[in-house]
Amino acid sequence: MSGKIKAGLWFDPRTKLLLLLLTALGATMAPSLMYELGLVMLVALMALVCGEWRKSALGLPAYLLFYLLTLAVMQTDGSSLQTTLMAFLGLFHKVYPCGFLAGVMISTTKVSEFLSAMSRIHAPKKLVIPFAVMLRYMPAIREDWHFIKDAMQLRDVSPNLAGLLTHPVRTVECVYVPLMMAASKAADELSIASVTRGIENPRPRTCLVQICFRAADLLAVVCFAAYLAAGLFWKEAFL
Amino acid sequence: MIEWKGVSFTYPGQESDGLQQVNLSISEGECVLFCGRSGCGKTTMLRLVNGLIPSFFPGEGDGAAYLEGQDCSEIPMYRLAERVGSVFQNPRTQFFNVDTDSEIAFGMENQALPPTELARRVEQTARELNLEALRGRSIFALSGGEKQKIAFASVYAMNPDIYLLDEPSSNLDMDSIRALKEYLKLIKAQGKTILIAEHRLYYLMELVDKIIYLERGRIKGIYTPKELAALSQGQRASMGLRAVNLQQLRPQKRAKSAQVPILALKNVRLCYQKKTVLENICLQAARGEIIAVVGHNGTGKTTFSRALCGLHKGCEGEFLWGGKPLNAKTRRKRSYLVMQDVGYQLFAESVEKECVFGIKNPNAALADRTLEDLGLSSFREKHPNTLSGGQKQRLAVAVSMVCGKDILVFDEPTSGLDHDSMTQVAALMERLAEQGGILFVVTHDYELVCRVCTRVVHFDEGEMPDDLPVTVENEGKIRELFHLQP
Repeated sequence: MSGKIKAGLWFDPRTKLLLLLLTALGATMAPSLMYELGLVMLVALMALVCGEWRKSALGLPAYLLFYLLTLAVMQTDGSSLQTTLMAFLGLFHKVYPCGFLAGVMISTTKVSEFLSAMSRIHAPKKLVIPFAVMLRYMPAIREDWHFIKDAMQLRDVSPNLAGLLTHPVRTVECVYVPLMMAASKAADELSIASVTRGIENPRPRTCLVQICFRAADLLAVVCFAAYLAAGLFWKEAFL
Repeated sequence: MIEWKGVSFTYPGQESDGLQQVNLSISEGECVLFCGRSGCGKTTMLRLVNGLIPSFFPGEGDGAAYLEGQDCSEIPMYRLAERVGSVFQNPRTQFFNVDTDSEIAFGMENQALPPTELARRVEQTARELNLEALRGRSIFALSGGEKQKIAFASVYAMNPDIYLLDEPSSNLDMDSIRALKEYLKLIKAQGKTILIAEHRLYYLMELVDKIIYLERGRIKGIYTPKELAALSQGQRASMGLRAVNLQQLRPQKRAKSAQVPILALKNVRLCYQKKTVLENICLQAARGEIIAVVGHNGTGKTTFSRALCGLHKGCEGEFLWGGKPLNAKTRRKRSYLVMQDVGYQLFAESVEKECVFGIKNPNAALADRTLEDLGLSSFREKHPNTLSGGQKQRLAVAVSMVCGKDILVFDEPTSGLDHDSMTQVAALMERLAEQGGILFVVTHDYELVCRVCTRVVHFDEGEMPDDLPVTVENEGKIRELFHLQP
């Protein structure tokens, strides 16, 4: 987390939700692996435009790795190992584009924008507030993780992949237990801080940063929608 | 303006923190301090006013708190929020946004103020509270004190008539406490009604009109600051209250002379993200020393403690133990860090298992004895998370004793503790020192330093300008470090 707010093109939270929906549809109906790759590239481009170059630079190569792995597995003969792996990888390919985009969304959307956008589309507060708490808590996990990592090292538990492989149960326990405790406490305190500042007010919420649709929003939606349409009606191109 | 009429309250399944037949009224513009031991019910008093009881903390009870004649529990939370602003203890988790401007505007956005008005008031708030430098920043880059300022600003921007502050200074250093005091002066001058629940009393003595002392859910006394200050230190200590005037405190410990140092740091330089945080650190310490580590937030105290425990990457220079060099791994074997939030370092499902967690051939007898020693043996079957804050802290210390660690670092062990718990922590530290440990205490708590520390090291501007054994000659200098008259 840098001290300054990141510079990048700004999108309306409603647009981002729509993009997420389009991506989910695209991933579900993807006619081929190639199409999935295109989708991930589109998301990576979106991340870049939003100013999240690090996410973009990590997310795309990570996917490429799995992409190549999948191709390699497909080359092998039809053993049971292949079937198992394919089932896992298939799911992975379906989830990855959405997860990637959601990650970008979470780090580029301010809680206040999100609340204001949800208030515009008349989403019920009971649904929105827990989401807002979640949105706010996500980046705090990173802070928690630093403390937990220290604590593990002092107890001679390695907080890395090697530790996970040699002592899977103990390592998972070490991360999971304190993280859950911290999360439940933080969620409570965050909720308290928000209700005492009137988050439950039924009046339509205003926002310091005015949210509105701009040309960029339209362009992004058109791009994603066009890609989805291409996947539906012009399948041959992706085979 | 605010009235508690015949209030009794108990939290489900909990004996402490309740109230019994409390009657009190506070008029407009008064500044009132609620104090007493942990669990005396002071927080509960406030929660009745800001509506967290019953909407967030349900429980059984009688009577009610009234705001201008209206039962607080019958006013919807968002209406109360417009009149009653609350600031809490933990600056980390009262932020709803990840940037400072949005956070200041948060409450007003909920009130649906028009955007131009929002911008104007954010501007005005930042000006009046001297927060211009913090505008437009990510909250993850702020120190605890800065976060607390923004949290206060967010409430201030809503311009409530009543401010409730629940242990607002617990996680703050002395400078931030001073800034908080200025804020309180400002709102007091504006004629606001202020209710504060707090353990640290000294910074409030000039400000408050009335001090309400609670004991086991009952009001046991109402004092003016003068009357409270007139009580003897012993009387206040027996009431579980902390110092009202730091000027009167004197260090009680003395550095022992002619000890053989066993731990040595030679020209240690610590970097964080390629920038030097601390350099030229040279230090020697003997068994039995209790060393206070002081300095402003952000001067590298945390980096130093983590480096000492072998947790920090980016160390240069030598760490020696009995003349033999210690690398990061061997430092981790020898040392233990008792974190400010101990919750992060408790992993097991019972107190007993926690003590031997991760040890290959645990010494069950030693674990038993340690738990016995620290008064935890009756909880051995319990889950660590069901313990109180002080008990968790003792459990973390028990772990370090069972692991046979020599170097112990305490990070802010007394934040948010009442007098009794502070004394207990101090006694525990003394015991660890007697058993041959070397203790480092990162702290802003002058009272604790006076009570246990035999030496004070001070970090400032990337170096360690002061290394002061507690002696008669050094007393003046030590007081200066805490901004007290020498």
